[in-house]
Amino acid sequence: MIRDITIGQYYPAESPIHRLDARVKIVVTFLYIVSLFIVNTIMGYVIVTALLGVVIHASKVPVKFMLRGLKSIIIIILFTAVINLFMTRGDHILWSWKFLTITTEGLYMAIKMCVRLVLLIVGSSLMTLTTTPIQLTDGIEYLLRPLKKIGVPAHEIAMMMTIALRFIPTLLDETDKIMKAQQARGADFDTGNMIQKAKSLIPILVPLFISAFRRAEELAMAMEARCYHGDENRTRMNVMRMRGRDYRAAVMTAVYLCVVVGLRIAAGHLTFMI
Amino acid sequence: MIKAKDLTYEYIRVMETDHGTKEEKVSALKQVNMEIEQGDFIAVLGHNGSGKSTFAKQINALLQPTGGTLWVKDMDTKNDALVWDIRQTAGMVFQNPDNQLVATVVEEDIAFGPENMGVEPKEIRRRVDEALATVRMEEYATHTPSKLSGGQKQRIAIAGVLAMKPDCIVLDEPTAMLDPVGRREVMETIERLNKEEGITMILITHYMDEAVRADKVFVIDDGDLVMQGTPREIFSQVEELKKYGLDVPQVTEVAYLLRKEGIDLPADILTIEEMVGAVCQLKSTI
Repeated sequence: MIRDITIGQYYPAESPIHRLDARVKIVVTFLYIVSLFIVNTIMGYVIVTALLGVVIHASKVPVKFMLRGLKSIIIIILFTAVINLFMTRGDHILWSWKFLTITTEGLYMAIKMCVRLVLLIVGSSLMTLTTTPIQLTDGIEYLLRPLKKIGVPAHEIAMMMTIALRFIPTLLDETDKIMKAQQARGADFDTGNMIQKAKSLIPILVPLFISAFRRAEELAMAMEARCYHGDENRTRMNVMRMRGRDYRAAVMTAVYLCVVVGLRIAAGHLTFMI
Repeated sequence: MIKAKDLTYEYIRVMETDHGTKEEKVSALKQVNMEIEQGDFIAVLGHNGSGKSTFAKQINALLQPTGGTLWVKDMDTKNDALVWDIRQTAGMVFQNPDNQLVATVVEEDIAFGPENMGVEPKEIRRRVDEALATVRMEEYATHTPSKLSGGQKQRIAIAGVLAMKPDCIVLDEPTAMLDPVGRREVMETIERLNKEEGITMILITHYMDEAVRADKVFVIDDGDLVMQGTPREIFSQVEELKKYGLDVPQVTEVAYLLRKEGIDLPADILTIEEMVGAVCQLKSTI
């Protein structure tokens, strides 16, 4: 049952979004997230949502997959909404009961935060859904490269991510095996209160950690045997190359950002749009 | 190709006892002298802890001798400047197929070695395709290693070494964790690479039926190279092998027991076919 967990939620399809260079997708996603915090009008959110809808449509990834990412953070969204709803002070009181008050400002704030979070999650899962983990790590390595001068180990971070991705299924298999072995000897993982349940995980975690360390040692030796010595003089088989469509995507993003910033400035003058 | 002169490797083992820790000097290899020619298929036998894995790691310069010298293609493994050349000349395949694959895609993993060596991207692509074809795994190029069988993973590991264009491959019990099908796949690959590509193969193994297929067998016991010769020479000395805690192939054992009972069979039977031949001959003389 533990094998059902999928890590790296890549959705294979042939689409213009899938074909984009991973670096472009990472930067665009980052700028998109920034833009979500620049936008502060209802009009702005309508535009952002519509654009996101167009991109999702172009990516050929079913909307169902996008929303799946939301399921895991529904609690956070609800929590944010509730906090904003009750804690925002304002002049227009809509409803009041004992110490709880809801103001118009609070209501708008709650809606705004929810929309922001949903757009943020859907937008970033669009990136992970259309980019293979290996492209993603390559992209991150490339983008972090300028930071190497100030001591950010870009290559090592990317290598660690690759190895983690490679070993997740292996370690999940191993966890499954250990759990079965412990259950065969009478271990009980399902009953008892939280503390008892947490305690029953110790006999799984200890052997898992020991084996993970052993694997790490063997892997390090195997990597050294294959001449691994960091990214000094290292080449890559697949070289990332910017193509026409990548430049077009970059230009479109720039235009989008201008529009978003323009809207924000306009909203400063036209306060009735909230 | 590979030459060892008084090759010695000692290390300090820290043991925990009731009265704190105790340090003990262990000699994993004791003045081993040997020579391996280019194109040889060598099997190295020895029981657990005999030093055969230590020997394998010496060839790849993962360990350096504490005494004596080991030359790989005239390169001294003690010379730190030559480490990468040595590792490129003598590739290594390990026991656990899971713990030696690095990437999440098969072809990326095979590219790992040449990438580390700084080979041109186009040339890497060519080598990867060639190595995949050699181990007959072309159709799995874009698969993820964790979905492959043990034998397939081990063939990918071999392909990863092949892409570095080595003259020699050291295999440290590559079949120990595989099922019979996987073992057969890997052994066939090793033999084919030796015969067709002329790559020197050094196979460390537990399995006598694998050792029988080599050109030459080395027996290591407690850090000493105690026997060397063709499989026929080695396995005919059943009693001596047993002394080192090793078995002989099943048919050889049967022949040995039959000889002890006074039945006139040759002492150097290694395969079932030879056994059948010998028994039939025996029958016709009666």
